Amino acid sequence: MKPTEHVREELVRFVRALRRAGVSVPANAGTTAARALVAVGFDDRERARVALRASLVPEQADVATFDELFAEFWRRLTAGLDPNGPAERPDDPPDGGLAPLGAEAAPGERSESDDGNGKNGDADETRDGLGTVVGRGTEAAGENVTTARYSPTGRSEEIATFAMPDEEGFDDAFDKLTRALAELAGRRWTTGEQRPDIRRALRASVGTGGAVVDLPERERARTALRVRVVVDVSRSVLDVIERPFLLRFLQRAHTIWRDTRAFFFDEDLREVTDSFDAPSSDAALAALERAEAEWGGGTHIGASLDRLRTEFPYAVDRRSVLVVVSDGLETSDVSVLERAMAELSRTAAAVLWLNPLAASPAYEPSARGMAAALPYLDGLFAFAGPDDLADLARQLRRQGSHGAIGYEHDRRRTERRTHQQRTT
Amino acid sequence: MSDATGFDGTTESDVRAAFESEDYVAGDEIVTTVTLALRLGKPLLVEGEPGAGKTELAKVLAGGFDAELLRLQCYEGLTAESALYEWNYTKQLLSVQGNEGEGSVFDEEYLLERPLLSALRGEGRRVLLIDEVDRADEEFEALLLELLSDFQVSVPELGTVSATTPPAVIITSNRTRGLSDALKRRCLFLHVAPPSFEKERAILERKVPALDAAVVAELCAMAGRLREEPLLKPPGAAETIDWARAIDALRDGNEDSLDDAEIRNTLGCLLKEVEDIERVDDELLASLREAAERARVEAD
Repeated sequence: MKPTEHVREELVRFVRALRRAGVSVPANAGTTAARALVAVGFDDRERARVALRASLVPEQADVATFDELFAEFWRRLTAGLDPNGPAERPDDPPDGGLAPLGAEAAPGERSESDDGNGKNGDADETRDGLGTVVGRGTEAAGENVTTARYSPTGRSEEIATFAMPDEEGFDDAFDKLTRALAELAGRRWTTGEQRPDIRRALRASVGTGGAVVDLPERERARTALRVRVVVDVSRSVLDVIERPFLLRFLQRAHTIWRDTRAFFFDEDLREVTDSFDAPSSDAALAALERAEAEWGGGTHIGASLDRLRTEFPYAVDRRSVLVVVSDGLETSDVSVLERAMAELSRTAAAVLWLNPLAASPAYEPSARGMAAALPYLDGLFAFAGPDDLADLARQLRRQGSHGAIGYEHDRRRTERRTHQQRTT
Repeated sequence: MSDATGFDGTTESDVRAAFESEDYVAGDEIVTTVTLALRLGKPLLVEGEPGAGKTELAKVLAGGFDAELLRLQCYEGLTAESALYEWNYTKQLLSVQGNEGEGSVFDEEYLLERPLLSALRGEGRRVLLIDEVDRADEEFEALLLELLSDFQVSVPELGTVSATTPPAVIITSNRTRGLSDALKRRCLFLHVAPPSFEKERAILERKVPALDAAVVAELCAMAGRLREEPLLKPPGAAETIDWARAIDALRDGNEDSLDDAEIRNTLGCLLKEVEDIERVDDELLASLREAAERARVEAD
């Protein structure tokens, strides 16, 4: 794709995301934003942020939302303009006549694509945890350098740790999630108060000579939803997630939810629903260990989800909620992932992505795989402890599966950020 | 019509230098946004608390670029006649009586230009400041739409007046009411936040250079502390400058810490509401002194 097309596409996506998040973006602001972006150039993140903010956000109250979404926009934008990672010269303008109009040199920071081909995280000292956390770089030689980077040979670190929950806390959170999922609207209609039932009204009018005496109403029936849990058991996920927590989550889902199927994937996908039949977690643990021992050649999220679609064609349907547990670190072609997610999101009732890395307050979904999957998700949530389940339940209950939900609406995220800023 | 505003090719360095020359302390965000507005030829809608320096921004822009400043102060009931143009009725009447109907009395000779028309018909670099647009009626906003989108207005008797060189337009609002989407659609936006301690100190050091640096730090710390209180009218940078000037005039070079009496006697420069001044009791005064002392220690 040409740089001009890429910029245009990302800008349109960004404006849509802002509007979806409730920001009041003026009608022609996208055009103004494009002109502003061209005027300031693409070398300096902060300048671009100011230019887009000046073009797109009339209300001060929306600035926080803008800033949050801008991080993802900028990552995608710069990744597309510079797919091979960090550029050698930060003052190189992109091709396609998009160079800044001014004559000024534009020193500044450059955001970079983060996941490359490796799975193990490696970032410089300013990084805030493993994975897709992007922070500000230190100033060196008058230039800000962004931080997140992956290297296949790098060190692995844990994000902020969450202790394994007590059973009561876990069960309570899980019950909340169960209730929230059970309350999601199904596809069937039943008598209710959501909207007029014209068909019933017409049928009833036959008995009254065509006069509509009463206007019956209907609403979506709360139907039992099927849940499909697809778990990434790659090293990078198992390094940062509490295995007892993960297994307990799957065990409870299998036991309590009416129709649950579980799949493990890494470089391949395998159904492990049967492993959770026994009351003890031994079989599940064995399945996990077996997957760990067999696989290890890199996570193929796209290929695995594609296999779910093709090998298990009836697993995901319109009544199914697809839950993907993964850090989104894709090691193969992201276009495969994008296609698989597009297909699954069309098929499933809802697609929720639980990412253990999203528990970090500084997390941004900037890994290639995560970024590719993001547009097709109903919500991306943290998955590191029972509090995350409780927050997922809270958001689902309040907003439904198609409302403004996700890690970015997690109240604890703001609190953790504030706390972190205070301590630093 | 060209989009050229007379500020084409303006760079951030130019804007920064213009602000510097006028002793206006502006962060990168303000500089970048103003540069964009000038380069794109878009009006800049500046919102923020009163006293944050919104009006000053237009003034220093005009001063720094040696441009003509045309100011339209908005108020409730502002009409097109007051903002755009009027006919000189007396002159028209005399002409009609003298010439017995020869020639039209609706031509340039009888036209009285008001700020908006002056801004359109002028030559060279101009900055049009439409101040406190939220005070004007919504009908007036509608009048602005044509002007801001095409830099032209229709005068029924004369036809359409277009700007050959459009002015740079700064619109300020204190957000006492929401502005129409149509107006916002035509503008770039800048939110001016109350100044940080460092920024306010830099402002005072430029605006009141004679005042001792430690005293300046004390004043900024106290102003910042007062902004934490639920005041009816929190002090803006303009009030802090007034306060610093008052202290400077009264102290005559004294570099000692401010005492309670000095603070109390000059508080009226900073707080403009009686209720706010009454809120400053002994406890709050002690808190202000404490903040001031901390700032002085750090400044030293």
